[in-house]
Amino acid sequence: MSNFSATARLSEGPATISARLLAINWPLIALVALIASFGVAVLYSVAGGSFTPYADKHLLRLLVGIALILGVAVVPLRFWLGAAYPAYLLALLALALIPLLGTEAMGARRWLRFGEFSLQPSEVMKVALIAALARYYQWLPPEKVSRPLWVALPFIAIAAPVGFVLKQPDLGTAVLFASVGLALMFLAGVNVLYFLGGAATIAGLAPVLWNHLHDYQRRRILTFLDPERDPLGAGYHVLQSKIALGSGGLAGKGYMQGTQGQLNFLPEKQTDFIFTMLGEEWGFVGGVTLIGLYVVLIFMLLAMALVCRSQFARLLCAGSALVIFIYASVNIAMVTGVVPVVGVPLPLVSYGGTAMLTIFAGLGLAMCGYVHRNQQIRRDDLGALAS
Amino acid sequence: MFGRDSDDGQQRQKFSRRALLIGAAQAGVFGLVGSRLFRLQVMDGARYVPLADENRLNVQMLSPVRGRIFDRFGEVLASNREGYRAVLVPSLAGMQNVKDVLALFTRLVPIAAEVQERILLRAKRQQQNVPIVLAGDLTFEQIAEINLFAPQLPGVRTEIDSRRQYFHGNTVGHVVGYVGVVSRVALDDDPIMRLPGMRTGKSGIELGMEGLLRGEGGHIKHEVDARGRIVRDIESRDPSRGDDVVVTLDTKLQAKVLTRLAREKSGAAVAMDVTTGEVIVMASVPQFDTSAFTEQTTGRALPKLQSATLNPMVNRAIRGGYPPGSTFKMVVALAALEAGVVSLKERINCDGKFELANQVFRCWKRRGHDSCDLHKALRESCDCYFYELARRTGIDAIGRMAKRLGFGQVYDCGIALQRPGVVPDAEWKQRRFGKPWYAGETILAGIGQGYVLASPLQLAVMTARLASGLAVMPTLVRPAAGESIPKADPLGLRPEWLDAIRRGLFAVVNEEGGTGSAARIEDGTVRLSGKTGTSQVSRASSERPNAELRWEERDHALFVAFAPASRPRYAVAAIIEHAGSGGAAAGPLVKELMTDILAQDPTSRPAYTLLTNDKQARGPGGRG
Repeated sequence: MSNFSATARLSEGPATISARLLAINWPLIALVALIASFGVAVLYSVAGGSFTPYADKHLLRLLVGIALILGVAVVPLRFWLGAAYPAYLLALLALALIPLLGTEAMGARRWLRFGEFSLQPSEVMKVALIAALARYYQWLPPEKVSRPLWVALPFIAIAAPVGFVLKQPDLGTAVLFASVGLALMFLAGVNVLYFLGGAATIAGLAPVLWNHLHDYQRRRILTFLDPERDPLGAGYHVLQSKIALGSGGLAGKGYMQGTQGQLNFLPEKQTDFIFTMLGEEWGFVGGVTLIGLYVVLIFMLLAMALVCRSQFARLLCAGSALVIFIYASVNIAMVTGVVPVVGVPLPLVSYGGTAMLTIFAGLGLAMCGYVHRNQQIRRDDLGALAS
Repeated sequence: MFGRDSDDGQQRQKFSRRALLIGAAQAGVFGLVGSRLFRLQVMDGARYVPLADENRLNVQMLSPVRGRIFDRFGEVLASNREGYRAVLVPSLAGMQNVKDVLALFTRLVPIAAEVQERILLRAKRQQQNVPIVLAGDLTFEQIAEINLFAPQLPGVRTEIDSRRQYFHGNTVGHVVGYVGVVSRVALDDDPIMRLPGMRTGKSGIELGMEGLLRGEGGHIKHEVDARGRIVRDIESRDPSRGDDVVVTLDTKLQAKVLTRLAREKSGAAVAMDVTTGEVIVMASVPQFDTSAFTEQTTGRALPKLQSATLNPMVNRAIRGGYPPGSTFKMVVALAALEAGVVSLKERINCDGKFELANQVFRCWKRRGHDSCDLHKALRESCDCYFYELARRTGIDAIGRMAKRLGFGQVYDCGIALQRPGVVPDAEWKQRRFGKPWYAGETILAGIGQGYVLASPLQLAVMTARLASGLAVMPTLVRPAAGESIPKADPLGLRPEWLDAIRRGLFAVVNEEGGTGSAARIEDGTVRLSGKTGTSQVSRASSERPNAELRWEERDHALFVAFAPASRPRYAVAAIIEHAGSGGAAAGPLVKELMTDILAQDPTSRPAYTLLTNDKQARGPGGRG
């Protein structure tokens, strides 16, 4: 009897807020703060040695973000279980409405505006998609995971937002949705053959498509893939970025001494190209240190996933790790000229409130899963929207 | 129970296996990215260094020459004086050489020890390719010497530096404004903003027309050797000078007005064309003199000027906010007429006071005016008549009419730092003070007191609009060559109402009993119409005569006028701070000002037009 009640208590997760706060992975919070501090330092340099206009706001966002992580984490996990589908559907609806009601900025239509307040549905979707997929596999019995119908359903759930953001156009986000979504399906146990088959289909279809393209379309794709074909146009940013990184060398030119960055040769140096700024001034050593911190962060998140007892919590942790991984690796690969420029920020370091908020919200969900790591959730549990 | 547990166990195992795979893949990707970084930064780094190194590829930014400012007849108000200076580009000198270079340079051109310290400090701290000024105002001998020693002075070059110079600064200083060092460089700003000699507009036309006056920076990209000698030019773009601006002011007329106005401690006057909105005169007292500004003095002189009594830096014509007093009565009358709550003929009795809910509002004439129609009420500035009109009309309709006649807004007229003043209503008061609107406050607004605040420019605009019946927009900048000032739309007020107002304003000055007889032009060749205003600043002035009060407690004297009365051409608004009665104190000033304007008739004479704003024709970096 007493044994049974002990198990029951264990499977509930910590009951009080203070117990949940105790269960939080504080080293992870410290690591997040450390990475964001890199951002503060570089942004201080970007502004030519000034806390305004970037570094001070970035620091403030970090503090707000940590509060957000804690706030999301202490909410009962079953609340997020209940909120996952509605959040996904709302985000999908908002994405669908963008072509009709969205406002345009810098050649892309990404924002919905409600009076003073504006919302970027694709950012909400980043978190909602993870939560919805996690919720789906929480419910789906393991033996059905690889059945075609049950594979098609999440595939459509991923493909729909990918399609919407491609129309905006926002290639970076589309890549993120697709890769995080597919990786979550893989983690949930979908048969490997689906993934191999998909890859083979794309590989097989590509040449056929290529032959059907017009010359100018092909040229555009080639320039996109290899920007150095057009050094004054599309390739200019990447070329300047490579010059900056290369001239930074092993130890860098010294804090606030970068010539490329400080002279405005670098585009978007406070956002997408902030890694270049760091690499120029702090050298290979600085860049690798930051990459190392990301690796530690991602592995901590995956380790958190492994100790969770519910599939929902596991996938939340893994999803958050994947978002950070995709952002960081695509961003660094982009500024080093390995992959085309798709407009992806460096997580926690790039200046920009919306992207940072998304990362923090994702981390909050992961942390919530970790806090409730011992909680078992029944498959048919619908979650609690009010608790 | 068991089944589910083993299910979960299986699921968890599968997750763990696949998470390991994913983790390995992620580590692999990061490894690839890291190795790419290693190749780029460590192995190939040497290949990229020269590309970024300022010792090889040097970009120098060139600042544009600022456009000049003329008055309407081509009198130069602001131009540029060009001199020679020596600058040091740290990246060209090489960090370790800066000290030696500076030591040698000091032997040619003496530099004070503490200035040397500052230069060294800046060279260490700032961006390496932004030049640092070593010395200005070089003589030709010094330039020759510097050039002679050029091989030993890497990174040093001489260049033309242009400085802003103002003319008639004591007359038009408030309007033209002045330039100053760039106070804060925003990151996305044009990089020329970081150049040491860069100046931007800080007030007046200089700030309001900054976009036109500034011009565009240029650059030279060249390859230089390690000693800073130029090997070859790679690419260059000349800076393009800023456009010149012609303002609508008549400097001579303005000077005349100012000598008159300067007899007073503080005040302002604005005169404008009633159909085009061109501002002919915009004077503010106390004055300050921008002609005396130089690079050295501005830094020290400005704070001193700003803290001086009565702050001479403030252009009262656009930044002053005064209760318009009785000059606001035309607004109330038109609002009432449009609301249909009064007719042109209706007579309202004035027994010297007006009561509303236990509050008593007094007419300025204690004995009262007996019965007034609109004409008499305007002529004799009867307060009770307008109290009653305000009560019937309501504050919202009065506010709408005030805005229609030009109050409560800033104009896109080329001059910066205008203040909108206040056209109050219930919503405004709730926002500003968090309190509801009281009926008594509407009554006060009826005579332009209470919360209502207006600038002399707005008063002039109102007068011009009443005189012409058009929604005239004021402007301080002449249109570019080949363009003309757009014609203003009609106000949309019934001609018979406007006529009644104009007849009333004519009577103020020219009929027996009018409050503005001091402004009457006696020789009778031309008639002037106007309205007095005596606006209360403190409670004290309603209890004791002005003469017994301290200066700052006395009433402001206002007068607005247009002339000729029969076919209006010019509108004038004047305010003399704390001078007492509007008619007695401001009336004579307005009469003299209007007489001068009509004698000169500036808008009927051909204005100065810029020959061309084509930059090519004038050549790059042309002389100021």
